[in-house]
Amino acid sequence: MTESLVSIRDLSIAYRGRGGTAQALREVNLDLYRDETLGLIGESGSGKTTLALAILRMLPPAAHVPQGQILYHQDGRAVDVLSLDAERLRRYRGEQVAMVFQSALSSLNPVLRIWDQFLDTARAHGETDQAKIRARTRDLLSHLQLEPERVLSAFPHELSGGMRQRVMLALALLLRPRVVVLDEPTTALDILTQRTIIDLLRSLRQEFGFSMMFISHDLSLAAELADRVATMYAGRIVEIGRTDELFYEPRHPYTVGLLQAVPTIHGDHRTLQSIPGSPPDLQRLPPGCPFHPRCPYARPACAEAEPDLLRISDGHRSACFFWDEVRGPDVGKIA
Amino acid sequence: MNWTTLKRNPGGALGLAGFLAIVLLVIVGPLVVPLDTSTRLDQIYAAPSRAHPFGTDNQGRDVFSQIVHGGKDLLWVATLAAGISTSIAVALGSISAVAGGHVDNALMTVTDVVLTVPHFPLLAVLAGVLQFRSQTLLAIILGVLSWPALTRAVRAQVLSLKERDFVEAATALGLGRGHIIVREILPNMRSYVAISFVLAMTQAIYAQVGLVFLGLVPLSGQNWGVMIQYGWTRGAIFHKSSVYSILAPIMAIVLLKLSLVSMARIFDEIFNPRLQEG
Amino acid sequence: MRNYLTQRIARAVLTIFLVVSFTFFLIRLMPGNPIDLFVHEQVTTYGYTYEQALEQARGFFALDIDAPLSVQYAQYLGNLARGDLGQSILSPGTPVSSLIKKFLPWTLFSVGLALMISFVLGIGLGMLMAYRRESWIDHVLTVIATVTTAVPNYLIGILLLVLLGVQTNLINIASIRGSLSPGVRPGLTLTFLIDALYHAALPITTYVMATAGGWMLSMKSSTLGTLGEDYVGFARARGLPDSRIAVAYVGRNALLPLFTQLTIAIGFVVGGSALIEYIFNYQGIGLVLYESIVRRDYPVMQGVFLVITVSVVLANLLADLLYGRLDPRVDLTAEPV
Repeated sequence: MTESLVSIRDLSIAYRGRGGTAQALREVNLDLYRDETLGLIGESGSGKTTLALAILRMLPPAAHVPQGQILYHQDGRAVDVLSLDAERLRRYRGEQVAMVFQSALSSLNPVLRIWDQFLDTARAHGETDQAKIRARTRDLLSHLQLEPERVLSAFPHELSGGMRQRVMLALALLLRPRVVVLDEPTTALDILTQRTIIDLLRSLRQEFGFSMMFISHDLSLAAELADRVATMYAGRIVEIGRTDELFYEPRHPYTVGLLQAVPTIHGDHRTLQSIPGSPPDLQRLPPGCPFHPRCPYARPACAEAEPDLLRISDGHRSACFFWDEVRGPDVGKIA
Repeated sequence: MNWTTLKRNPGGALGLAGFLAIVLLVIVGPLVVPLDTSTRLDQIYAAPSRAHPFGTDNQGRDVFSQIVHGGKDLLWVATLAAGISTSIAVALGSISAVAGGHVDNALMTVTDVVLTVPHFPLLAVLAGVLQFRSQTLLAIILGVLSWPALTRAVRAQVLSLKERDFVEAATALGLGRGHIIVREILPNMRSYVAISFVLAMTQAIYAQVGLVFLGLVPLSGQNWGVMIQYGWTRGAIFHKSSVYSILAPIMAIVLLKLSLVSMARIFDEIFNPRLQEG
Repeated sequence: MRNYLTQRIARAVLTIFLVVSFTFFLIRLMPGNPIDLFVHEQVTTYGYTYEQALEQARGFFALDIDAPLSVQYAQYLGNLARGDLGQSILSPGTPVSSLIKKFLPWTLFSVGLALMISFVLGIGLGMLMAYRRESWIDHVLTVIATVTTAVPNYLIGILLLVLLGVQTNLINIASIRGSLSPGVRPGLTLTFLIDALYHAALPITTYVMATAGGWMLSMKSSTLGTLGEDYVGFARARGLPDSRIAVAYVGRNALLPLFTQLTIAIGFVVGGSALIEYIFNYQGIGLVLYESIVRRDYPVMQGVFLVITVSVVLANLLADLLYGRLDPRVDLTAEPV
């Protein structure tokens, strides 16, 4: 039984907005285990970004947490992230859990040299030996296939987009966090850079042994990187399981819909189908299962109650009453 | 413009109300309140009272009536000057942005140079050399010298609008450049131009009153600037009781400026229909 | 950096040249041309012959009045190169340049100090307002800023005099006006410094009150925008302390857009010196300009106007160069829009 690093229990998060309260997360339960890569897949508005931000407690001021817990497990103790005081929270971020944002273009301070940004990070966590910091930084940058001397003395605007992405990864890994959260790591990149980043992420995880959670709307990324995948819809996890389970035997209509929208190189040519309808209004969710207005398997029962994550097998769960009828498309062989 | 816009922007609404009140006072007031020209030597620099809400000046004349009559000139000059400078700026800014290349470079260099010359000393020197005999002439000079600041901003706005889809569509449809400027771009800058007009008015007020205060413009007629000048040169500020005759016009000018500035903020909401959703 | 630098310097030089020419032609070509008026006056009022009047004019303006305009222009430029700005009509024998040398430092002192104080105050308070958005301090400061920017700076000066000196007697007006107390000699002494500051206090306060509000509001909005930037979020995600983020991540970036305002502010404050110095009887170059206009001392007026403008151009250049140092994105290819 591998140990859980982050446990999310019954977490609900809501945003106060002009039209009312939007329920971004609704009683989410999730564990991130040691030495695994978990992919959170969903459309925008599904709650995946909110979940990722919540783990670092970096929610915007308009958000509030009506219920739930986020527990971080360290040395046998469980730390309640939501009630950490300011100083401990500051240390927690970066040292234990790190986050890499989507856009590297604007994630680096334009007026500071790259070296200063590394120095800031190290100093913030009590490391003052500059030689040591320098050595570790150069080591990291080399791992990421960057020339340390050239990069460290440069300003962000002097580097290419791909280089900045890798600098951001290095900054996140500087303090050897045990968990790294990535928000859309490949979305803003061109195909070649995507490839590089994906390979880098794999090798970095091997080398440094952290657990990775990435959020994306791109299911094919999950196929490449993730050990487990969770699909999210309307603030809930609707299906979770091993990557091969989800791809070959999806048991939730939403997952099926996502799979049908992804073209594959292998396998027979299929007509792509997008999921009909549009994402739900988080301030006014439909009764029962939030997906039922767009679901090809929908039945009257679906409008009456919302299904929990029902157990299909060890580790594979689906939030659909009729999961055993759900069939996925032929996705060919995944990498 | 409707009630929700006004409610959401209380400052702006107040400004608009204040401005309208001042305009009313200044234009209609003189028809209702007669200008007190009688000299009452026994009531020099009287403190405010029921008969004289703002006290009296150095000749016993009612300050309140002077205030009522003293805003017209100021508003007229400010409006005319703002109109001239805004028109020049919009024209030059748009032309420069749309023409591009050498024309743009030349115009912008001239603009920058004129912009760098400190505004008030230039006006003071011109006032000394040219002797502005009429308010209208003053307004024209003010307007002609104020365009640079706005021109650069207009140009930047037009440049950014130029790249937008609707302009591309218009160009694709074969509509001429003039048409594009006048019918496509300018209407989208309405709020911007309105705000700039109002701010140009405040600049003109500053310059006007400053010139009058220094005595560089012939002191004709009755206006708030003149009142301040009289008060100053006759030492009205140096005595507790006489100070009202100079405070009143100062407050009037400040209120006018405040309401103009507040109004500018609400124009964005009024003229930008996209912002007017529930 | 090189290209940016040379471009800015070239622009400054061009501006100075154009202003110089403008001043020359203004004096010579305007209707009611002061030089011709002067000559006319000398002939009719004082009974000089035309040649004698011309001779006088030559002395005051350092120009050959009857030579063709282009020749005069060349002479004018030549004179400037030698620092010869003519002589004061009303104090014959006093070169304009010596008047400038005497009074300009006082203005530079008060205006420079005021701009620095105003900038620092405005930026600090502006950031505070952004960080404490919607709090009572934000509301109070916003109101203060809005009101003070709506009052013309010279009216602020008058109000200061009224409130502090007349209505309340906090300050002895008679002694604080002027730029030096009688009997105090300029020099590197503490007495001089303190006295100079005492007299510059009201003008400086006036400048600061008139401009700080603008800085506050601009910095607040710039800071609010910067707070939403990704690099601030990423910095927080790495556990950087709030103090470091405020200074190096938010502050330094929020400052940059304000520099365009700095050039406008410099021109505005220097331009207003004529009015402020008049009110406080502060013996600076602004007051000299005012007096030269009123007394029709044209060579002085011309020279002082030139110097004021050149000061503004140079100050703007300094501000531009400072910006170039602060923003590393300014580089060789910089061609400002």
